[in-house]
Amino acid sequence: MVGQIMTHLSWIDGSIVGVYILATMVAGIAVRKYVGKVEHFLIAGREMNLYLGIASLAATEFGIVTCMYTAQLGFKYGFAGATPGILAFLAMFFVGYTGFCVKPLRDAGVMTIPELFELRLGSRIRWLSGVVIVLGGLLNMGVFLRTGGEFLVAVCGFDPKYLEITMTALLVSVAVYTILGGMLSVLVTDFLQFIVMSVGLIAVTILILMNVGWGRLTGVVEQQYGAGGFNPFINPDMGWEYVVANALLSVAMVLTWQTTIQRLLAAKDTKTGQQVYTHTSFFFLCRWLIPVIWGIAALAVLTPEQVGDKTLLAMPKLLSQIVPVGLMGVLVAAMLAADMSTDSSYMLTWSSVIYNDILAPFHKGQWTEKRGLLVSRAIVAAIGVFLLVYGLWYPLQGNLWDYLTVTGNIYLSSMSVLLIACCYWKRANSWGAAGAIIAGATIPIAFLVMEQLPKTEHFAKDIIGPHFSNIATYAVAATAMVVGSLLKPPARNAQMERN
Amino acid sequence: MPEHWIWWTLTVACVVWYSTITLYVAIRGAFDIKGMLGRLSQLNDEPEK
Repeated sequence: MVGQIMTHLSWIDGSIVGVYILATMVAGIAVRKYVGKVEHFLIAGREMNLYLGIASLAATEFGIVTCMYTAQLGFKYGFAGATPGILAFLAMFFVGYTGFCVKPLRDAGVMTIPELFELRLGSRIRWLSGVVIVLGGLLNMGVFLRTGGEFLVAVCGFDPKYLEITMTALLVSVAVYTILGGMLSVLVTDFLQFIVMSVGLIAVTILILMNVGWGRLTGVVEQQYGAGGFNPFINPDMGWEYVVANALLSVAMVLTWQTTIQRLLAAKDTKTGQQVYTHTSFFFLCRWLIPVIWGIAALAVLTPEQVGDKTLLAMPKLLSQIVPVGLMGVLVAAMLAADMSTDSSYMLTWSSVIYNDILAPFHKGQWTEKRGLLVSRAIVAAIGVFLLVYGLWYPLQGNLWDYLTVTGNIYLSSMSVLLIACCYWKRANSWGAAGAIIAGATIPIAFLVMEQLPKTEHFAKDIIGPHFSNIATYAVAATAMVVGSLLKPPARNAQMERN
Repeated sequence: MPEHWIWWTLTVACVVWYSTITLYVAIRGAFDIKGMLGRLSQLNDEPEK
């Protein structure tokens, strides 16, 4: 039976994976005893130091889903597919170095971004912000589990009928320690996962560079995509709109992506938070370029018949063929590590917004620590159930990265506009904020719906496209913020400030 | 210099930087965890005193 399921994994590989999972579970569960308050559960009591922050952020921001969509971009666009990584690196370094928005945010001593909004824009905006953050975040994360399961099934050579079981096993193992230890378990397991993940990523990349060779990698990109495979501006499927859309997304992600911000807010002080940003910035290039090279290697090695129409699975198919015994165990452990760290952080981060902001009108900060912890843990569990259900039925269409950018923009656009306005524009007020939130959420949701409906599918995909949809989202959100704020009578602003 | 030297330089930089930072963060991060758990342990004990 075992032999039938694990066609690509030897007992050596299986043992490596087993030891890794056991060590992670033990470490994750062991630290639950340090969780005494909701603040410990959600932001580790603000005791996170620099190097733990770097490990945690790097591990969180690289999951199987990251590896899959990035490799898909490498397969489909060549080296130009790594463009979002360069933009993310630049954005991360700039924000960390200057403290743009993140300094006032951390100085405010809040637990989430919406909590900061309440100070300037009122409690309704805080609540509304919490809703769009959770909506965008959960839709975004909804495809993580299935993608992770598909990778493991392809690499390990499992029968596809075991996909659902693989997804469920992945989720349950992550949920157990996240529910018990919250951010503390996430940080400690992220640290272990960062090491395992990094060893696997580096080893497989060196193996690919040695076996496939640089000349063959650049040669296949030249042959398939010409100069556009190296330069996004002249790539017919990318162009300036792709670069602009991804630049906006990178800045917004660095400023407001809840998992990134949670590391800033968990840092022991503002300076440490900024250092986590600058020191991790280059990792954002690595996390893109390395899987892009894996995707290009799949393009060079696999035949079109082997790939079929599922370009997302080209990279795992390649790995299942070229990675030797022993290293396969390290690779699977690395990918499990990447996925578990991402899933646990994401489950926790959205639960922190639900508890801290959406449920704020109910608990009003007056629940006992015991009750707060119980509710926080229940929310993490509920998110786990949602992920399982959503991952099983949502039919992913088109590029995975495009789906993630569209769903992420449901809140990234408005939250980044609100955060910038909140920190640096005195005229910003609740009217502008409400307009930005509604406008910022409407466009991506409308695009997602149109993409699924047969009558509007062509218009959404081929005429508008995800890049223009994303650019429009930011432009409209910013406009709504400015117009709404200017329309609100100053007397009402003054009254709100007094309240 | 290899073909497409910009991408070659970025690739080499990624592999070298990532290898180095992994080792460094692995060592320093372990001390960070020890310190964090120690401080939280103290904080959790304080109200009982």
